Amino acid sequence: MTKTIVTIFLFTLFTTSFQALAENKKEKVVVEYKKYERFDLGNLEIQGSVIAPGDVSVKERERRVLETDFYEKKDYFPDIRRDVLNLK
Amino acid sequence: MKKIIIKILLIFSICTGAFGSLEKARQLYNDPKVERKNEKITYELIMGDYYFSAIPFAIKHINSTQKINPEFEKALKALVVKAGPEIFFDVSTEVLVRHDSPTLYFVLGLRYFHEKNYAQAIKYLEKVPDNNYLQPEVRLTKGASYSLLGNSDAGYTEYKKCYTYADSAVSSSANDKIKRYYAILKETCLIHVARLKFTSQEYDKSIEAYDEIDKTSYKWPYVLLEKAWVKFKQQDYNRTLGLLVTYKYPLLESYFMPESELLTALSYHKLCLWEDALSVVDQYYKIYKPRSEALASVLIKNKTSDNYFFYLTHESTQMLEAKHPFIKSLITQIKKTVKYNVEYGAYKIAMKEATLLKKMNRDDFIRILIEETDSQINSKIKSLNWYIKEYMYEFINKINGLSFQLFKIRIDIMSKKRDLIYKGTQLIAERGRGDLKHVKRTVDEQFWEFTGEFWADELGDYSFGLKSNCEEVKQRTFEDVKQEILEEEKSQMKKKEDEGSKGAKND
Repeated sequence: MTKTIVTIFLFTLFTTSFQALAENKKEKVVVEYKKYERFDLGNLEIQGSVIAPGDVSVKERERRVLETDFYEKKDYFPDIRRDVLNLK
Repeated sequence: MKKIIIKILLIFSICTGAFGSLEKARQLYNDPKVERKNEKITYELIMGDYYFSAIPFAIKHINSTQKINPEFEKALKALVVKAGPEIFFDVSTEVLVRHDSPTLYFVLGLRYFHEKNYAQAIKYLEKVPDNNYLQPEVRLTKGASYSLLGNSDAGYTEYKKCYTYADSAVSSSANDKIKRYYAILKETCLIHVARLKFTSQEYDKSIEAYDEIDKTSYKWPYVLLEKAWVKFKQQDYNRTLGLLVTYKYPLLESYFMPESELLTALSYHKLCLWEDALSVVDQYYKIYKPRSEALASVLIKNKTSDNYFFYLTHESTQMLEAKHPFIKSLITQIKKTVKYNVEYGAYKIAMKEATLLKKMNRDDFIRILIEETDSQINSKIKSLNWYIKEYMYEFINKINGLSFQLFKIRIDIMSKKRDLIYKGTQLIAERGRGDLKHVKRTVDEQFWEFTGEFWADELGDYSFGLKSNCEEVKQRTFEDVKQEILEEEKSQMKKKEDEGSKGAKND
């Protein structure tokens, strides 16, 4: 019994020590970014129509017409009534 | 000398007659055995020209008797003419219906008209016989009732009859004041015909009726505005403006109508003369704002008073001018109305009666008469006070209401101006002077060119000759100008080239 326990213990010790050794051997990755990049705008090609800078365009849309219900005489009912009430 | 003696005798006999009648009335009152006491007292008091004193006795008789006799009908006529039909408004309907009295039917009809029960008003007014003295008033009230019920055909028939009855009353009246009253009534019937035709959109017939009102009539200045509305509906804006300019005539100063300013602005707006419309709007605010404030201050301070406005009409011109010139003009306008004159006339009769009674020995009978006349005087003062106050309130409400309408015109013009800018267009022309070719006229219509002067015979026949400015044209943009310059340069270059080639050929 004790023999098997000792063997299992030695086996686990052996495997873990090999793993640690293998990890230490991994190469360190150093990332380097471009320090300077040049864009040639003149060579850039844009698809679609080119609008000259400075052009102001207003999108056409149907204008909302305000409803104008101006006062217009339709009848004289209040005046007719008043004439009779103020007769005598 | 003889004439003076006759006059003195006449005055003496009238005075003694009046006194005699009052004495007889006193005896009747004090005699417990007299039958139909109230009826007899009424006759005696009316004989003595104590109309307001007779009212309570007449009402007692109406309430107590089952049938009114023809003599009492005459007494009722006298009371209605002198004191107005409202004196019987408190008598119950059952009592008024019980007697077959044309005068009381008229009172009942008028009371229903006041209550806006027009069908009932017509029902009772129809019971007044055709030969009755109240026919002009009856027909006018019936016509108005039919109009308000929407029956314009029946209304038209009644107004026509009203005109005929009033016309014959003018011819048969001997008294100038009564003649004038019926003349105004006749014109009122005509105006109602014109209004009826206006409502049913028969504009030519409406104008025909308005044209029958004489320029010398009291009603004529009011008719101008109504006529201007007809012309506006007929889209004759130049004639509308011409009619309304008449209100600027110095002698029509007291006939200021805020509505005429709105109609002027609307007419300019329709002609697309926006700057003119805007100047009318500005002018309206400038003129009517201080007027409205002055009127509001008077109204708010005295709105609970029962007699302030009545006594305001008694103040001197200088005193009214000191309050505000506008208040003075408004009071003048009110004092010209039929209602004021009729009610004020009744008030004066009541005052005269009260003064005479207060000089007499005060027994129970005289005390009752004094009490009655005093209460009638108070009711007349309250009624006139209410009428003046209501007139002023309506006026101030109109000023404020129209101010909102003019604001709407201003907003609309601003909106239209903005639209023109967005569209890159402009109206065809700037405002120029009018031209005769823009004046519309019918065969029987007068026309006078308004050149800033008023002539009495021309009043009401002015017309403007303004051209409508509503056509839109494209506005020249910067691009248009650039294009024009380029084309001009091209044409000049071509010209030079042509000239150069010609020169080479010649060489």
